[in-house]
Amino acid sequence: MDFALMWESLPALLHACIMTMELTFISLFVGLILAVPLGLAAARRRGAAAFMAEIYMFVFRGTPLLVQLFLIYGGLAQFDYIRDSFLWPYLRQAFMCALIGFSLNTAAYTANIFKGAILAVPAGELEAARACGFKLWQQYCYIVWPQAFRMALPAYGNEVLIMLKSTSLASVITVMELTGTAKNLYAETYAPYEIFITAAVLYWVMSFILSLLLRFLERRFNKNYRKRKTGRRSLLP
Amino acid sequence: MKKPVLEAKNIRKSFGDLEVLKSVSLTARAHNVISIIGSSGSGKSTFLRCLNCLELPDEGSLAFAGEEIEFSRRRGKIVKADARQLLALRAQTAMVFQSFNLWSFMTAAENIMLAPQKVLGISRPEARERAEHLLQRVGLYDKRNSYPAQLSGGQSQRVAIARALAMNPKLMLFDEPTSALDPQLVGEVLALMRELAEEGRTMILVTHEMAFAREVSDKVIFLYQGVIEEQGTAKSLFDTPKSARCRAFLRREM
Ligand SMILES: Nc1ncnc2c1ncn2[C@@H]1O[C@H](COP(=O)(O)OP(=O)(O)OP(=O)(O)O)[C@@H](O)[C@H]1O
Ligand SMILES: [Mg+2]
Repeated sequence: MDFALMWESLPALLHACIMTMELTFISLFVGLILAVPLGLAAARRRGAAAFMAEIYMFVFRGTPLLVQLFLIYGGLAQFDYIRDSFLWPYLRQAFMCALIGFSLNTAAYTANIFKGAILAVPAGELEAARACGFKLWQQYCYIVWPQAFRMALPAYGNEVLIMLKSTSLASVITVMELTGTAKNLYAETYAPYEIFITAAVLYWVMSFILSLLLRFLERRFNKNYRKRKTGRRSLLP
Repeated sequence: MKKPVLEAKNIRKSFGDLEVLKSVSLTARAHNVISIIGSSGSGKSTFLRCLNCLELPDEGSLAFAGEEIEFSRRRGKIVKADARQLLALRAQTAMVFQSFNLWSFMTAAENIMLAPQKVLGISRPEARERAEHLLQRVGLYDKRNSYPAQLSGGQSQRVAIARALAMNPKLMLFDEPTSALDPQLVGEVLALMRELAEEGRTMILVTHEMAFAREVSDKVIFLYQGVIEEQGTAKSLFDTPKSARCRAFLRREM
């Protein structure tokens, strides 16, 4: 193993981490905003809104992310009204297409997590709120949402880590994030181990930092709630 | 006679083909304590839940504090209650559930503080003061920062009662508040309810605690298959029941 080469490749790879982070955080942020109404709609279970939210999740969770990226990157140009629109200068950029694809995709997964969490709020707690005279929006704001959010945190943490690693797919549509940059360096040096191990370590470090952050959030919000007096004990030996 | 706090007339309710309530009426005046008894499935909970419209009756009328609740009907069946009146009814009618239904992600104090702030619109410091006062009253001040999962059943139910009291309700509804409790914890909840009855609060309770019902109630209603089979003062109903079904029920329960 050529450690000198690894060291030399580090600045370029580290720089590429910035774009990986940008892709991850922006799409998670946009996805989260989209997922709230989608999850609320899907949790209603009946009606047109729930049906549409289900279709959305069905499509985006049922097809490969890479295919979605190809469709957005190559497919948008097929429509004249998109090419003529003022957004075209942005939409033709691979980075933008990747952002759109990732956002729409993570929105579907996150919405599904929210749906499950909302449906898991005990019916009795909602009934108590109703009996107190809470309006419907108050029931959602003060009872459903705070609890669904806490219940969704562990699963959402998973989605964050998966999203971070999924950004490597952007390299296929020419975005020079960490994997794309590593691929270029490999083409110059023909040293797959050195380059890709360095990239893998960088992904691992980013995942590690993110998972620490997520664990902190979980601690912060799920502190005492649900802990029995006997304390937490593992069910496994 | 004082003006009724709540007057329910000819309440009917079906779930699908199952007719659960067949024209049940009840009048609660200020300071009344009314117990509803009957065997499992006789419609006690359903009736109680119709009184604050957690369950919408199919037919009948409901008047709270002299004001008739306006129902919209479709083909003679009630489909909706006037939204403003519904919220007002619920804000002034507190309910205590068999399974406590405390909000699990809030501490005991927060459970008590939420509705007065959001529904009655009182300030946070005022709500906190009220909550602490009530927790003291139910003997759980030292549990104010505990989460429901950390409380025993009896403690949970006392917090739930404190949560109900925090709304200064004109009427309190109890649906078998001690049925989910271990026998040794029933006493602490009944003691608290006895205090509330002695204070002159208007209460309607569904209960299987016959001795307690007899002791605190002004009026007792015996429901049988969705009909009031017999009603009267606690003394008359428990000592000299007229209906054979009521007699049989009491023999089994006592
Ligand atoms: N939401 C519902 N949907 C369908 N059937 C219901 C519903 N709620 C109650 N029932 C039925 O209505 C009948 C009366 O129920 P209810 O809960 O009022 O009885 P109860 O007198 O409170 O009995 P218990 O003492 O067991 O609590 C039962 O046969 C029950 O199965
Ligand atoms: Mg019942």
